[in-house]
Amino acid sequence: MSVLNAIIIGLLMGIVFGFALEKSRVFEPGMIVGQMQLRNFTMLKVFLTAVITGLVVIGLMHGFFGGKLHPKALLYGANIFGGLMLGAGITLAGGCPGTVLAQIGAGYKDSWLVLLGGLAGALTFSYLEPTLKPILLSGGPGKLTLDTVTDVPFWVLAFGFAIVLVIVLVALERWRPWQADLGANYDGMNE
Amino acid sequence: MKLSDKAWSPYVAGVLIGLLQIPAFLLINTALGTSSSYVTAAGTLASVADPVITQIDYVAKHLSGAKNWWQVALVIGIAVGAFFSSRLSGMQRPSVSPVWSKALGTGSLSVRMVLAFISGFLLLMGARIADGCTSGHGISGLAQLALSSFVTVGCMFAGGMIVALFLRKI
Repeated sequence: MSVLNAIIIGLLMGIVFGFALEKSRVFEPGMIVGQMQLRNFTMLKVFLTAVITGLVVIGLMHGFFGGKLHPKALLYGANIFGGLMLGAGITLAGGCPGTVLAQIGAGYKDSWLVLLGGLAGALTFSYLEPTLKPILLSGGPGKLTLDTVTDVPFWVLAFGFAIVLVIVLVALERWRPWQADLGANYDGMNE
Repeated sequence: MKLSDKAWSPYVAGVLIGLLQIPAFLLINTALGTSSSYVTAAGTLASVADPVITQIDYVAKHLSGAKNWWQVALVIGIAVGAFFSSRLSGMQRPSVSPVWSKALGTGSLSVRMVLAFISGFLLLMGARIADGCTSGHGISGLAQLALSSFVTVGCMFAGGMIVALFLRKI
């Protein structure tokens, strides 16, 4: 794949991604802060639906057509510490590294500063990476996936997990229809 | 469901995003992710002022190749897609979401701007330490049943909810 072709494919995929983020309103900071305060469930619904769809298509591609998985290495310290820091950033940004671009596209101006802070964060990490590597970013048991540690076929676990998540979403939607979380101005704010 | 609608069901959006794994896996040989593009972009910009940065292995492996620039294009595409989506529905957004004056208890623009920068820094510092964000660990990692992603996503929601306790109720 040439770099140019990859860029064209990336742009096209990103446009679909951006449409989905904007139309679902999940890019709205009000939806994200609301989710973290358990007052709004739009983010969880989009997120879990994307996971379910991924489980099905990756279950098919990996389970039946031998497609290669791309899991990340299990490093408890890095996963726990990085995950907590990422979560703190998500609440204060009202978005994540991908949705901040949707905020910019939709017109929020403070999101430019989130982007700038993100580039500064990535640059700082890049300079610190050689120092952090021996402390936080190495060792660990490797790129483990649930199927390799349980010896159950990937597709069985993937489809089973997908079914469990579908049941969770059906219950969530019955309890709280998605329209109830939109807000009068489609920004997740209810009053 | 039309392109001019102001809102679609979260389930339609989630399926669309999940289906993007197909071209990601089959054409680019990777899973959906967004945060390593920040290393590619920041490293490329920084290399102009500090060429030595390209000698850091971590930076060097993010600077070239189809996968890295695919992801930079992906996040730019997200902005383009959201722009067109909002224009097609005639959706106008204020400069800053009204959630912030409520959650922060102040309408001060400088407070929001400082916090926005810090939040971006935490997002990418955290995502790079954990080796993935809401897309890479969340959407893609959970769908690949990666143990690292279950740990990271659990901590991500925990961290987000703890910080949200310090904000005012929206």
